[in-house]
Amino acid sequence: MPIQPAVNPGAIDWSGENPGILLKEDPDGPFSAMALFFRIAYSPAGQGEALLLFEKPTVAESLPAVRNVMISTNKALGHFLADSFIAKLGAFAEAPAFAAMQHVAARSVRSEGDPLDRYAEIIETEDFTVELRWSELSPPIALELPPSLTGPKDRELFTVLVEAGAASILIDGAALPGVPMPRVQAGIETTTAFLYFSETWIVPEAPAA
Amino acid sequence: MGERARTAVNRGRVEWTGDNPGIYLKTEAGGDWTALAVSFQITLSPHGRGRAMVVLGSPDEAASYPDAPNLCITDNPPLMHYLIDGFLSKFPTFRGRAGLGAMRFLPLTEILREGSYETRYVETTKSGDTSLALTWGDLGAPFAVEVTPEQSATGEHDMYSLFMEARSGGIAVDGQVLPGEIVQRPFFGTMMSSAFLALSETWVTPNAT
Repeated sequence: MPIQPAVNPGAIDWSGENPGILLKEDPDGPFSAMALFFRIAYSPAGQGEALLLFEKPTVAESLPAVRNVMISTNKALGHFLADSFIAKLGAFAEAPAFAAMQHVAARSVRSEGDPLDRYAEIIETEDFTVELRWSELSPPIALELPPSLTGPKDRELFTVLVEAGAASILIDGAALPGVPMPRVQAGIETTTAFLYFSETWIVPEAPAA
Repeated sequence: MGERARTAVNRGRVEWTGDNPGIYLKTEAGGDWTALAVSFQITLSPHGRGRAMVVLGSPDEAASYPDAPNLCITDNPPLMHYLIDGFLSKFPTFRGRAGLGAMRFLPLTEILREGSYETRYVETTKSGDTSLALTWGDLGAPFAVEVTPEQSATGEHDMYSLFMEARSGGIAVDGQVLPGEIVQRPFFGTMMSSAFLALSETWVTPNAT
């Protein structure tokens, strides 16, 4: 439940939506495909949508051979998210694809469905279309995480989690290999396919000198 | 400040999440509110997703558009009835307003968004030739708020939101600017303008146990 004071003294890093899908073919192996989507309402780099897509996370290559890319409607936002946020998420930052990924402009972005039933994000570039699909959705849960329970470890998080029991990443209609895996977040047993809505990252107030 | 102790997982029921900015005006600084407006962009609710704008240009008059500027333009009337009955009608600013019960519902045909959250933002919602426009200017830095039922506007819910204060702004119905001024009002132990953006907002019914 919320804590005092009601007005959080920390600085806002960014706020928006942040659904994702991480797939594996072997539970003990590396991720076989990864996607992290952003619909940003507020950030220092402005508003917009962005998709981090690793078609082959273990391959240190990008276009034209591999769709290891950051697609965005706002290039400055794409770089801001990659440099200040994704670089602190171990699963993404430690993948060989991260250092190689190119930035690509999005031609259109749209969502479909309902986050209490089935949901999708469709991102088009000039050369290919990516569709993220989530289904078998669980009831939403509100999370208010201290820095120690977050990926970056240096900021607080408010968010609404909707867990997906099934999900897929499609490029031009072809599904990438792998299925979602179990994971634990803040003590909750969930999966690596998730919707996050109304997500706000807060840099805690600096300690008094 | 060290890490603040939190209950990381809110075990309550997530009611809805989305954006909920507003503007409240007074023609006399010490008097009652003379014009009220809120916008909704809901990403998750028991009634699906939806968008709406509510304007009560004559809040205490049991009359509706076009006789009085009391109207709601929406693409999801069941969602709006849920939001009005369970939330908006319980907000201190809207509680007991005859115009809220009398206002006319019109189908949403178009939404226009201009400007940015950095400086000035205008949202125009249309139903055919009828238009409602809200303008927020001189926007301040964003800050996060988290409140318990004792503090929330409904008196019943936990609420998380990202606020941005607007030091100027206004409400227009069919291009006619409604009279009244933005004022400073108490806000969780401080003072804030009665024109505000509220983004990434989540309402949770606390767990009874």
